[in-house]
Amino acid sequence: MVKKKVAKVLAFRYMILAGILVILAGGLVLLPKYEKHEGIKTEQLLSNIISPERYISTDNLADKLINQDPSYLLIDVRDEKSFNKYTLPNAINIPLAKLLDEDSEMYLNQGQYDVVLFSNDNFYADQAWILCNRLNYKNLHVLKGGVNEWYNTIINPLKPAETMPAEAFELYTFRKAASMYFGVAYPEQFKTVIKKAPPKPKKVITVKKKKKAPAEGGC
Amino acid sequence: MGPLIPNGVIPAEWDSIIAILIGIVFGFVLESSGFSSSRKLAGVFYGYDFAVLKVFFTAALVSLIGMYYMDYLGYIDINQMYVHPTYLWGAIIGGVIMGVGFVAGGFCPGTSLCAVAIGKIDAIVYVVGIMIGVFIFSELFVLFQPLYEGSFLGNITLEDSLGVNPYWFVFIFTIIAIVSFVISDIIRKRNKKIFY
Repeated sequence: MVKKKVAKVLAFRYMILAGILVILAGGLVLLPKYEKHEGIKTEQLLSNIISPERYISTDNLADKLINQDPSYLLIDVRDEKSFNKYTLPNAINIPLAKLLDEDSEMYLNQGQYDVVLFSNDNFYADQAWILCNRLNYKNLHVLKGGVNEWYNTIINPLKPAETMPAEAFELYTFRKAASMYFGVAYPEQFKTVIKKAPPKPKKVITVKKKKKAPAEGGC
Repeated sequence: MGPLIPNGVIPAEWDSIIAILIGIVFGFVLESSGFSSSRKLAGVFYGYDFAVLKVFFTAALVSLIGMYYMDYLGYIDINQMYVHPTYLWGAIIGGVIMGVGFVAGGFCPGTSLCAVAIGKIDAIVYVVGIMIGVFIFSELFVLFQPLYEGSFLGNITLEDSLGVNPYWFVFIFTIIAIVSFVISDIIRKRNKKIFY
């Protein structure tokens, strides 16, 4: 009796299997959709954010610029107005709002150049870095301290006090030389050497010495 | 988490060993379902046995549906899956040659090796033919190279080229499969039964 029942059910076995397939496939269509997490994993992103590896110091960058390292690409993430006012030499302006545009992608998502992002501080540059890092773009760096730090260290370096160690003086000379490279003039460069007027030729007044007349005669 | 090897859950050194294990299981299943008989394979074209169509279509569907469920649940990242690159004309011409060989010989490359393993003489001849074909192709590769490397479309899938939602695609594909199973069953019943 039981066998008969089983056989009855089994007669429809292909129908049942086909039904299961259709239900499973239909389930895929009916499942509620959710936004998938794009880019790298959350844990990876967090550990990248904590790590200070992304920072490049202003001294390091100045050194690269002066040596005209062709592998560095500077990207200014401030708005256009600030960019036009002042920026680092040969920088490209990609404002933060336009960071994920198609045009900017070719600068950011590539493996050829080392990209250095900077803004006034490193605040906006960090934001840009996080956005790009999440999309798994490579070779991105952030200028530590941004343009302000650049100004304070390279353009207008602080003269070390007398009591500071020798390294501070070395750093200062480097920064001073760098700032000269970037077009800062120092007063000592223009020390006007007051030329002494060539001594006037002395007027030689020849005084005819009366020749002593030889004593004539004599006694 | 998955795919396991690209994400380092299983070290990459294991992939050959895993491939061998999967190959052994695959060969066993092929042989035990009778696919090492050229008559069973040719049956699709003569309309008396559609086991090949049903088995491979079902296998593709089960893995497709399973993969999308695993992707939905986060066990696997479907974008990391390997997609075979498409060389359009090379694939079309190669497919035609393969189809002719399939009908004429009654084997596909995988099942022919299965049949060699159980000692079928026609399969041995077939495999020797494959080797000769491989030899000719590699000797004349310079001639075939433009066709072999031309019309490259990238690693595209049907969902990319048709521009449809993958879930709907899977659903429609399932319906097509089941309709084709039903039609093939009707054809099989109309044909004379052949015992082999």
